[in-house]
Amino acid sequence: MMATVTTDTQLMATRTLVPPARRRIFTLKRFITPIVVVVILALLLWWVSSLELDSIEQRTLNWNYITLRIGEHLSLTVVASALVAVLAIPLGIATAKSPSKVFRSIVLALANIGQATPAVGVVILLAIVWQTGYTTALVALVIYAFLPVLRNTMIGIDQVDANVRESARGMGMTPMQVLTRIELPLAVPVILAGLRTALVFCVGVATIATFINAGGLGDMIVNGLKLQRYPVLVVGAVLVACIALLIDWVAGFVEDIVTPRGL
Amino acid sequence: MKRVRLLPIAAIAAASALALAGCSTGGTATGSQGDELEGLTGQIGAKDFSEQFVLAHITTELLKAHGADVEANTKLVGSANVRQALENDEFLGYWEYTGTSWITYNGNTAPVQGAEEQFEATKEADAAKDIAWLDPAPLNNTYAFAIREDKAEELGVEKLSDIADLPADEQTFCIESEFSTRDDGWPGLKEAYGIDVPDANVALLDTGVIYTATEKGDDCNFGEVFQTDGRIPALGLTVLEDDEEFFPVYQGAFTLKQETLDEYPAIADIIAEISPMLTTEIMQELNSLVDVDGEDPQDVAIDWLTEEGLI
Repeated sequence: MMATVTTDTQLMATRTLVPPARRRIFTLKRFITPIVVVVILALLLWWVSSLELDSIEQRTLNWNYITLRIGEHLSLTVVASALVAVLAIPLGIATAKSPSKVFRSIVLALANIGQATPAVGVVILLAIVWQTGYTTALVALVIYAFLPVLRNTMIGIDQVDANVRESARGMGMTPMQVLTRIELPLAVPVILAGLRTALVFCVGVATIATFINAGGLGDMIVNGLKLQRYPVLVVGAVLVACIALLIDWVAGFVEDIVTPRGL
Repeated sequence: MKRVRLLPIAAIAAASALALAGCSTGGTATGSQGDELEGLTGQIGAKDFSEQFVLAHITTELLKAHGADVEANTKLVGSANVRQALENDEFLGYWEYTGTSWITYNGNTAPVQGAEEQFEATKEADAAKDIAWLDPAPLNNTYAFAIREDKAEELGVEKLSDIADLPADEQTFCIESEFSTRDDGWPGLKEAYGIDVPDANVALLDTGVIYTATEKGDDCNFGEVFQTDGRIPALGLTVLEDDEEFFPVYQGAFTLKQETLDEYPAIADIIAEISPMLTTEIMQELNSLVDVDGEDPQDVAIDWLTEEGLI
């Protein structure tokens, strides 16, 4: 039994030239990002607590205010990314499978426009013609982060080797089975890379939610900038950067776990 | 055939000749009103809103009429950047508001009571930084709260002290993030007028969005606006009287480096020709020409100066 497994693995290794299937997930390298973030946050805390804050700064640089803003920011980012995943992945599959070149180019053009349009413009425009608040900010974020997931889903499916697809069909799989058993699993790393990009986009762009009563850390950045209270501005900006780093790190972690073994 | 083709070329040649001629006459730099500022070159700055554009252009045209070779630069965004540009000698000068300099650049948290006292205090604080304040204009671009006219009638509110007596669900506000934390903003206002509402009644919005949101009335009844903004009359909003005199005075005055003023003391007299004329009402009118009628700030400035016979 043991012997067979070894030979099988060896066989695979020699045939496809991939490293052993079991990858090491918990390495020291993996924890560099969170360590760096913790160090940065500790330095920030030390710096701010060494300052004498005036009443304007005290109104924003307190735990209550900051945790509230971080919560709003994370909520916007995560919900928007989840919506993008739910909407853009199926659309990406449909587009990749569609024989119509016109449909394909229309979808891509729309997604391109969504990302090319300045998000601030979309947010303010939506606030004026529609309404202000959380939902509007969410819509703007989804429009903005749609393209990377859509395009990566299409590319992920397109890049599946035609021979593999052919063999699956030859084994008697239906087109649906080819999609769910062969194409999608093979496309997972590429799709996840797109989602990861979308998440990081969202962290950055969620700062503009402040303009339309949707909160987030943009509140601190705009406040600090306009009133020339640099501690407020720096804390807001550093927190956004740390969140982006951490979210990217978590996504990378998930990506490694979810990616089917052998890829 | 040939003649037809030659015509546009001839037209272009004539036009460029005219343009060149225009350039050379402009280059001699003798102003229509005098040449006391001959040799003064540089840029007049502005913050990123219409009133500042108009003021920058008025100043530029006026100084040019007195022999200076200046131009308006309205490309910077944010008060802090404009002030920085003045400190770094990128700008010759720009119009600043007393309250802004006092609280934002000089790091104070509480305003000084009274327009004149606030001006003197600011002038003194900035003198230490080699920035001179010329005599101020009467215009007061302070904060104010506006409401739709019909809603004001329905609720029967005329002044800020009427708000606290309204039912809680009518006490809704749209404010800027900046206003929400400053002492002369939301925290102080609530205290001064005894307004006690949950955070859900307060919407934090960008300046531009507040005007439309206040007009629509979905997010709030009361929107934080700037007193001299031309959109107040245009959107049918009415400003509530600040009966407790809570808001500090944001009086406009031309600021410049002390060494520029020492070198060209005539600037003070020239600016003094326009300062007394720039009242809140006049500014509202000029701003509305830009914000509401979509006119070019430079045209508005030139038209006004010409009308007043200053250039």
